[in-house]
Amino acid sequence: MISIKQARMFFLLLLALLLTSSTCYARTISPVEGLEALRRGFTGISDFTADITQEKKLSLMKRTMVMSGSLRFKKPDLFFMEIKPPFNSRMLLRDNIIEQAAGNDKAPVRIALPPEQGLKQWFLKLASPITSLPEGVAVQADLTNTVYTVTIAPAGKGQVKDIAIVFLGDGTIRRLVINERNGDRATMTLKKVRRNVGLTEKNFRLE
Amino acid sequence: MSLYRLLKNLLPLLLLTACATVPAPPLDYRPGAVLDTLSSAVSLSIRAADSSMSGSGYLLFRRPDQIHLVVLSPFGTTMMEAFALGDRITLVYPARSTAYVGNFDELPERGGLQGWRLMRWVMDADASGENPLNGPVQRMSKLGFSEKVTFENGLVIAKESSAGDQVYYRNYSVVNGVPVAAELDLRNDRGDRIRILLDEPEVNTPLEDAVFTPNLDGLTVVPLSAIQGL
Repeated sequence: MISIKQARMFFLLLLALLLTSSTCYARTISPVEGLEALRRGFTGISDFTADITQEKKLSLMKRTMVMSGSLRFKKPDLFFMEIKPPFNSRMLLRDNIIEQAAGNDKAPVRIALPPEQGLKQWFLKLASPITSLPEGVAVQADLTNTVYTVTIAPAGKGQVKDIAIVFLGDGTIRRLVINERNGDRATMTLKKVRRNVGLTEKNFRLE
Repeated sequence: MSLYRLLKNLLPLLLLTACATVPAPPLDYRPGAVLDTLSSAVSLSIRAADSSMSGSGYLLFRRPDQIHLVVLSPFGTTMMEAFALGDRITLVYPARSTAYVGNFDELPERGGLQGWRLMRWVMDADASGENPLNGPVQRMSKLGFSEKVTFENGLVIAKESSAGDQVYYRNYSVVNGVPVAAELDLRNDRGDRIRILLDEPEVNTPLEDAVFTPNLDGLTVVPLSAIQGL
C-alpha cells in the first residue's frame, strides 16, 4: 500500500517529469540564421510528399473552412497539390505554369506566371548560402527545441502581411501560416512527410 | 439451411435490389419557406472563352440582392472577392491591391465577367407554394425580364431568361426547412459558365451588414470598365 508520503513524492516526481519534458528551449535566432537553416535543410531534399490540412479563417466569418488533401514536390520545378471533396481540386505548378482543375473538370485552367516567378528561379536563388537579408522583407526567426519558425513580412501594403514557416533542421516543413492584411489567415499543416521517395514526372499529372 | 447456403441464395437478390433505380422521394420542406440568407463554403469554377478561374471559397447571400463571394487561391489566400448590392458590384483583387467598382451594366462584354450580372437572378429560386408545380412556367422575373422556370415537385430545377441565359439547380436538400440546391450551374449565350457547389450551407441565420461591405482601405479603386478579365 502506498503511503501519503510516497504518493506525494510520486506526484512531485511526475510533475517534475512533465515539467521537464514540456520545457521549451525557445531562443530567438538571427533572421539570417533562420533563413540559412531553411535553405540548408532543403538542400538535402530532392522530393517529398505529404498529407495536408488547410484551414482558412475569414476575418468576417465565425466559421473556419477546413480542407484536406496531399501534395508532392520534386526539385527543381514540380509541385502538385490535391484537395479532397467537397472542395476537390488539383493544381500542378511546372516552373511558372499553373494548371488547375476544380471538381471533376476535365480541362484545367492554365495560368502563366512571369518567368522570374517560376520555381526554378527560386531554387537558383537558394543555391548559395544566405549571408544577408534579402531586400524588401523583414524576417524574424526562433528555434524552439528542434523546431525553427521563420516569419517573413514583405515590405509595403500588399496582400500578404507575413508568412510563417515552421520546419525542422532537416528541411521538413511542418506548417505554413499566411496572414493577410485584411485579417484573413490561411494555415497549411503538413503530416506524414516523406522525403526523397524518388518521385518521377508521372507523379505530376493532373489527370 | 446453413448460413452459407442462405447467404448464397440471398446475395444475388440483394445485389439485384441494390442495382434497381429508385427515384428519389420528394423533399419534405416547409411550404412557402423562402431563402432569406445563405452562407456556405463553395467550390467554384468560372469558364469563358478567353478567361477562366477555379477554386474553393465562400458565398454569402441576403435577400433580395446582397451577395459576397470569396474565391481562394490553392494556398488559401484570398484570390478575389465579389460584392453585389442592388445594381452595384465591387470586385476586389487583393494581390493587385485593386478594387473595381461600378454598375453591373459596366461589366466588360468579354473576360468571363458577364456571369456576375446574373447572380441575383440565379439566387432567386424559391420553391412554389402550397401546390407544388411541375413542368415549365413562363413568368416575369423579379428583375423585370421574362423567364421560363421549370419546376419539379415544386422545386426550381432550371430557368431560362429571355436573353438565352440558363441556370440549372441540382442536388437539393432541406436546410432549416428551406430547400437548397447544392449545385448551381449558370450558362450564358456567350458560352460563359459558372458552376458553384455549396458545402454545408447555413440558411436564414442572421448576417451582419459588415459581411456585405467591401473594405477598400489601402486598395486602388478604379472603374469597373477598366477590368481586363477574371
